[in-house]
This record gives sequence, structure tokens and C-alpha cells, in this order.
Amino acid sequence: MRGTMTRPPNNENLPTVKLVVVGDGGVGKSAITIQFFQKLFVTDYDPTIEDSYLQHVEVDGQWCMLDVLDTAGQEEFSAMREQYMRKGDGFLLVYSVTDKNSFENIIHFHTQILRVKDRDTYPMLLVANKVDLVHLRKVTEEQGRDLAHKLGMPYIETSAKDPPLNIDATFHEVVRIIRNQPNPGNERRRKKKFKKLGKCSIL
Amino acid sequence: MLLPTNSSPPSFQQDFYHSVTEKTKHFASKCLNGSPIRDKSYDTLRGRFRFCVCTGPRKNKKTAKWYVKQPTWRLWGEEKTDGALYTVYLKKVRYHRPTRSLSSSHSDSDDEISHLEWETVRVRFVKAGTLRKLVEALSTDDGELETTYINVFLATYRSFSTPKEVLKLLLKRYEELSDSQQNGKPDQHEQHRKTLISALHVWLDSYPEDFKEPPNHAALCHLLHFCEEYLPATELDAKVKHRLHRYNAEANAEPILPPPSAFAMRMLPSDYKLFKLPDIPVRHFAEQLTRMDVDLFKKLVPHQCLGAVWSRRDKSRSHEAATVLATVNQFNAVSFRVISSILVDPGLKTNDRAAIISAWIDIAQELRLIKNFSSLKAIISGLQSNPIYRLQKSWQAVSKEKLEVFDELARIFSEDNNKLTQRELLMREGTAKFADTVGENDRQLQKIFQKQNNHTANISFGTIPYLGTFLTDLTFIDTAIPDVIADGLINFDKRRKEFEVLAQIKLLQGAANAYHFVEDQNFNRWFDSILVLDDRVAYELSCQIEPSPNTKTKKRHQKNDSIASTSSSNSSQFYCDIDSTPSSPHNSIDRKLSPSQMSNSSSNSSLPSLDVSLNSSHSGSANNKLQVPFNTSGTLSLNSSKSSPDFYIIKVTYETSSVETDGIVLYKSIMLSNNERTPQVIRNAMYKLSLEGNPDQYTLAQVLPDKEMMLPSNANVYYAVNTAYNLNFILRPKKLEENEGTMKNSKGKYKS
Repeated sequence: MRGTMTRPPNNENLPTVKLVVVGDGGVGKSAITIQFFQKLFVTDYDPTIEDSYLQHVEVDGQWCMLDVLDTAGQEEFSAMREQYMRKGDGFLLVYSVTDKNSFENIIHFHTQILRVKDRDTYPMLLVANKVDLVHLRKVTEEQGRDLAHKLGMPYIETSAKDPPLNIDATFHEVVRIIRNQPNPGNERRRKKKFKKLGKCSIL
Repeated sequence: MLLPTNSSPPSFQQDFYHSVTEKTKHFASKCLNGSPIRDKSYDTLRGRFRFCVCTGPRKNKKTAKWYVKQPTWRLWGEEKTDGALYTVYLKKVRYHRPTRSLSSSHSDSDDEISHLEWETVRVRFVKAGTLRKLVEALSTDDGELETTYINVFLATYRSFSTPKEVLKLLLKRYEELSDSQQNGKPDQHEQHRKTLISALHVWLDSYPEDFKEPPNHAALCHLLHFCEEYLPATELDAKVKHRLHRYNAEANAEPILPPPSAFAMRMLPSDYKLFKLPDIPVRHFAEQLTRMDVDLFKKLVPHQCLGAVWSRRDKSRSHEAATVLATVNQFNAVSFRVISSILVDPGLKTNDRAAIISAWIDIAQELRLIKNFSSLKAIISGLQSNPIYRLQKSWQAVSKEKLEVFDELARIFSEDNNKLTQRELLMREGTAKFADTVGENDRQLQKIFQKQNNHTANISFGTIPYLGTFLTDLTFIDTAIPDVIADGLINFDKRRKEFEVLAQIKLLQGAANAYHFVEDQNFNRWFDSILVLDDRVAYELSCQIEPSPNTKTKKRHQKNDSIASTSSSNSSQFYCDIDSTPSSPHNSIDRKLSPSQMSNSSSNSSLPSLDVSLNSSHSGSANNKLQVPFNTSGTLSLNSSKSSPDFYIIKVTYETSSVETDGIVLYKSIMLSNNERTPQVIRNAMYKLSLEGNPDQYTLAQVLPDKEMMLPSNANVYYAVNTAYNLNFILRPKKLEENEGTMKNSKGKYKS
């Protein structure tokens, strides 16, 4: 599928977009990430390859470099969550429709991201994963949409099983949300301010 | 050794290559102690190469597979048999001349037989198979024991089978070989059987816990019956009998109860002193943190890190990953201590707070030198957590050089390029004696390392890795590579991949034996005495120290929190995730702060004030606070004396009737929140002080300058305390007659 796209413009100056995937352990974050990077079912997968989570993508005719951070497996190192949240330009908040707890925890990820960013809103997408497991489903689409509405973010249903559902759409949607955020000027100003301090102390 | 001369890696971290190879070999031989290994099989070699490749520095993924392209190794293809799939390689090998040992005296004859020195052989590796075939493959086609194969198998088989099942198949295979001895090739069968026995030895020696299933130890009994029938009076027979005997003896022995810690507390050593940040011996702190980490790291069971165990576990099976969880809990415990030590006293001057931050950076720097990347990352994470990160004024008061050190240390854990820096560093220093790797931009670290090398050239350390990176890698391997391939065969190549990660962990575990730090009880007491703040409280304290300029944000947060309290009453991972820490009792207090409680209290006051000296207008000030309804409009100034805190932090000391404390006062800080009543506060204090028993049998009193104020047995402590003075309390066991009285009154009310 990706092969049919036009080639990315050959330059290094593409804007880089950092996405961070958050959600409870076991909701299928890593499957979404791997499916997007098309490494699912490859015979010789190596998790240590440097450019594993970098990819050129074209969204609405504009190219950018996606840099995805997925710390699946480290969910319980709760103390470092904020550290990687700080780095995201946009977030995928993933829960499993088969796991009510993972749904209920979304609110906390949301709160924590806003706190870390010190903002009222931030580019986020609510991702309801594992919708292929119809008979095990515990969280309805309505409940998912309700929460998304309450938190002021779009909602999408995904499955990373073959055939995948909405995986590319999910990543593209976050890029769109980032591009369309109401006052990006505000963002830039904040970042600058933090850089003054952060330059030598943090980051 | 069959290592072909031309396949040693060209100009590629030669030293590390050797050390890893040696260690892996050592590890393999340790696993196989006493077992007859006739052949360092090709698979072993391949395994080593792969390990080197995996940990070696790479500029891009293309170089990753160089070993296949070596002239001596060529992929031939796949071969399928009934129940198994193999990958076949062609390999050029050098002959072992039978006269080699004798030929040294007449090496001139080498030329005569040079045309016979090389030949091409077919080597096949199990790629996938049925469980039965995988067990059979423990002895190769020639009946040899493959060290790599058995190591991979034993480290990973729990993802697709159980000890019981594997044992059954292994013994069945042995029996079949014995029964079919009459027809077929008796010599080869004999060889296969010997190898299976070796495999059993390896298994028993390297994974004893697989055979320990009290009370009956069914697998071990099964093995014993087998030995009695087929291998009486052999080494294996003796080993199994001894093992069973020992397990039974352990079960019958009385469990040794640790002495109650209340008793231990009374016997404080004479050199007892309470550490207080920032004036602490930083090197000592780094060593003690490392001592705690080493202990947990050595106990870590590598196969509990496997994706199938760790990332797929559900809450009911969390014991299966207990050793991993213990490491995670320690990491969090360190981070939380960093956070709370900086926030817990909001009255601190900016410079004093900066001094505590600097002390943590100093400790982190020492941890880098000791090569403890776990606590190092924990401290970095704590300092980069939001409540600390946002304290701009405090950071500005930290010296420029210190900030540079911090920056350089933080760069180690950069997520860029899939954590390349961290991986390379671990690869370089994993088995090195001391820390010596710095980036060219790390100006401060360069200086520090130079200083170190002048002083401690002869000291060697192990390495404690940050486990999270391995856990993520294993999670991704588990997700990316299917468990079974076509025809339902178990995908053994996946297990080989996983083993590459496990082997690194095992290697570092071995290296960790180089640490020798003596436990300091004073440090432990300090560690336990630090109050752990939950996520939200930490943020509120931080905002109290430095108010957020963005007032709109505050309103927003409140809104969210109120949603939190309605939509998730008790599933809050954030507030309670320290609850799931059976091995770490330090976090007891958080358990008492239910999320709904936190949310409730937050909805009627935006920011808590911990500054207890604010209301210094004497008696009854606590009650006054109660009568000031808090205005949630968000316009109230933060330091307004009208603001009411959600909680206090009180210090409790324990006093027994027999006074043996010699004037030593040991405080534990606990959090006292709105609506907590006396029995609950006593229970919290008891937990923190490691006291057991019924809360009804204790009294709690606030220490005032001229007297003590005894708290009534069911008071709302939050409102009863006198905040005009320090919040110091004494916990005492009740006198006997007093006791009986209350027992009658509150019978059955507070069961502990």
C-alpha cells in the first residue's frame, strides 16, 4: 500500500512529528505501532534497530517524518511516564475494548499529559483497540465516543490483527490534529520559554 | 574451537567481542557443569555470533546480518520433516587432524595434507516444531548436546509449555530409545540417551525452581520413579533424591519469623544518625542504592521478563513476574523519594531546595561511575518528573556546572534513534571493569571520569542495567513474531530471538557479582522514612511552591479531576499503582488515600497548603479553617492564609513503656488527610513504623511545648490537631487497664 504512494521529497528538512503512544499494559500498543511500521510477521524482527520507529508519511498531500515513541512493557515504571510525555507533539491514548480498567485509566493519562504540557488542550486521539474481539468486548462504541467528547478529542476504533483496521488512519489523524490545533503560536511561545531553562538543565 | 580464522569480526570492538565471547562461553559451561560436551556445535558458534551482532554497534540495519554473508556460512534453505522445520546452512569447516596433538613436533608435514583441510558441511537448526520434536532436538541428529539450543530451550519453553509436560516428553523419549534398542543402531541410541541425561542435569542445575512444587513436588517424584527404573544408583538418581530430601526438609522446618521490628528499633546502633538531605555522603548513598539494586537484580529470574510472561500477564498471575515487579517497584521507590524530598517542605528557601536537587545530581553522578543505570535513571526520571521539572526558580539556583552534569547524565537515556546511546553504552561497559565511556560533548563527565580513573584504577564494578529497555524489546519481539507458524508448529526462531535479550541480562547478572557494598541500616531507615507523595499531591505541592502562571489551566484540571472521581471510582492506576507492591512496604500511605477521597478534597479547594505555620494564630486555628469555605473560582491567591490544606504531613515517633531509646528520636512522616479518624491514623503510623497488632491498643498524642495532647479514640484527627505548633506525635501502647476499657467500648469496630 505504501509502495503506491508518491515518494517522499528527498530532503532532510521535513518537519519531524513526535508521537507518543500511551495506555495501560496489555492494550495492544506495541501491536499498533508494529503494524503501522509494517514489521508485523516479518521473520527476522529486531527490536534494537535504530530507525525502527521513524517513517516518512504523507498526510493530506504534505510530507512529514513521524517519530513514534512507544514504551510498551514499561507501563509500571510510573515515575518516568511524565518524562516521555514531555517529548510528544501528539498522543495516542490507547485502551482495549476488552478491558474496562484500561478504558477508565484513559482519564488519568489525559490529565497527566495536560499537566506536563501545562495546557488546556493538547493534540490527542482516543484509540479503542482490539475491536476485532467482538465477543469479548466490554466497552461499547457509545461509551468510547462519550469519553472522547468529554475530553474534547476525536475517537477511532482499531484492530492490529490481520487485516488491520484503521492503523494508518490513526497515525494520520494525529498528524492532522497536530496541524489543526487552534493556536500553535501559544505552543511555540511556551516551548521557547522552557528552552531558556531547559537548554542546559533538561531535555 | 572451530572458530574459522576469517570470521572474527573485523575491527569491531575487539575487546568487547572477546569479553562477551568468553563470558558467554563461561556462562554456557557453567550451565553445563559436569555434563559431557563433546562438540562445540556450530549452533553454539552461531549463537555467539548473533549475540555479538546484536550487542555490537551498528550504523544501519544492513550490517546486522554480516555473519550470514561470511564466506564460511551460507544459507542453503529450509527443510521440512514430519513435525519440524529446519533452517539449513552450508558451512566450510576445517578438519581436526587426528594427529594434531602429536604433530607439533613435525609441523613441516602440514603442507602435505593441506588439500584435506577444508570441507563443506550441512548444518541445520530447528526453526519450528511440535513440542515433541523440540524436546527430541535436545540431542542433535548425531546425539550430541547443543549448548545453545538447550540454553534457549530452557530459558524460553515456559512460553509454550510447562515443566511437567516437557519432563514427560523427555522421559518418554528416553524410554522409547531404550525400548527400541534391540532393533536399530544401539550405539547411536545409547549416545542419544546419554545426551538426554545431560540435558536433565543441566535443567535441574540451572532451573531448580521448575521442580519445586510444594507440597508434593510432583515433577521431581516423577523423575525419581524414572531414575529408580532406568538409572538406579547413578549421579542423576542421587541428585534427584537429594533434591527431594532437601525440599521436604525445608517444608518441615519451622518458618523462621523475623524479630518484630519494634524490637529492632529499640536496639539502634550507637553510631545511629538520621541522614538529612542535602548534607549527606553522596558516594555512600549511591553505593547503598546500588546495594539494594544488586540484590534485586541478582534475584531477577530472566525468563520472567519474556513478553509472554511480563507483558501478557494479568493481575491474577502477577506472581509469575514477581522478580521483575520487585525491580520496577524499587525504581519507582527511588524516583518518588527524589520527588518528595524536594517538595515535602514547601517552606524551604529556593536555595535550599536547589541544594537538594544538586545533592541528587551528585548521587546520580556517583551512580554513573558505579555503573548503576537503574537508580541513575530513576533519579533522572524523578528530577524530570513534572512537579520537579516545572520548578524553574529552584533550577535557576542550581550551579551551571551541576546542570551540565545533569544534562549529560540525562542524555544517556535519550529515546532518540531507538535508545541508541543507552544501548551502546551498555554494550561497551556491560562487562567492563569501570565506567569510561563519554560522549565527545560530555564536558563535565570527561573531567569526572578522568578524576575517577586516577583514584580508583583498581576497583572494578559490575553493571546494573535499566531493565525497562529489555522489557520493551521483549514486548516488541513478542508482538512482532508469531508464536506458531504454518501447521501449528512452535516458532522456535522467536525463542532464539528472545534468548539474545535474556543472555544479555544473564551476562550482566554475572557481572553484578563484582559489587561488594555492605548494608547500612541507617541508610535503610532514611530510605523508609521518606514519605512518598502520590502523583497529584506532588503536583499540588509543586504549584504551591511555584504557582502556575496559567490560571486557566487550573480550572481545567479541576474539571478533569471531577470527571475522574465519577468515571473511575477505584481503578485509578495513577493514584494506586504503588498499591501493587507487595514487596515494597514503604508505600503504605498511598494506599490510604483513595482516589475518590483525593478527588473530593480537590473539588472544594484548588491547591493545598502544607505550610502549617501559616495559621499561627493560636488555639482553635484548625477549627477556623473549617469555617472558611474555599472559593473555587481560581482567583484566590495561593498563599492566602485562608486556604485550607487537604492534608498535613505529621511526624510520628514510637515510644514503648520501657524506655530504651536513649534520647534517640526516630520519626516517620505520614500523611494525614481530611476526615481521617484516630484509629485510621494510628493504623497508618503503625504500618510506617512496622508495628503489628490492634490499633485499639495504641494511643496517639500530639507533642506540644508544655504538654501532650492525647487524641480521643475516635476523633477526626485532621481537625483535632493543633497546627499552631509542629506536628509531632507520639504513638504509645496503651497501659493494660486502659486497654481493656477501650476494648469493651469499641469491640468489633476496628478489626485489624
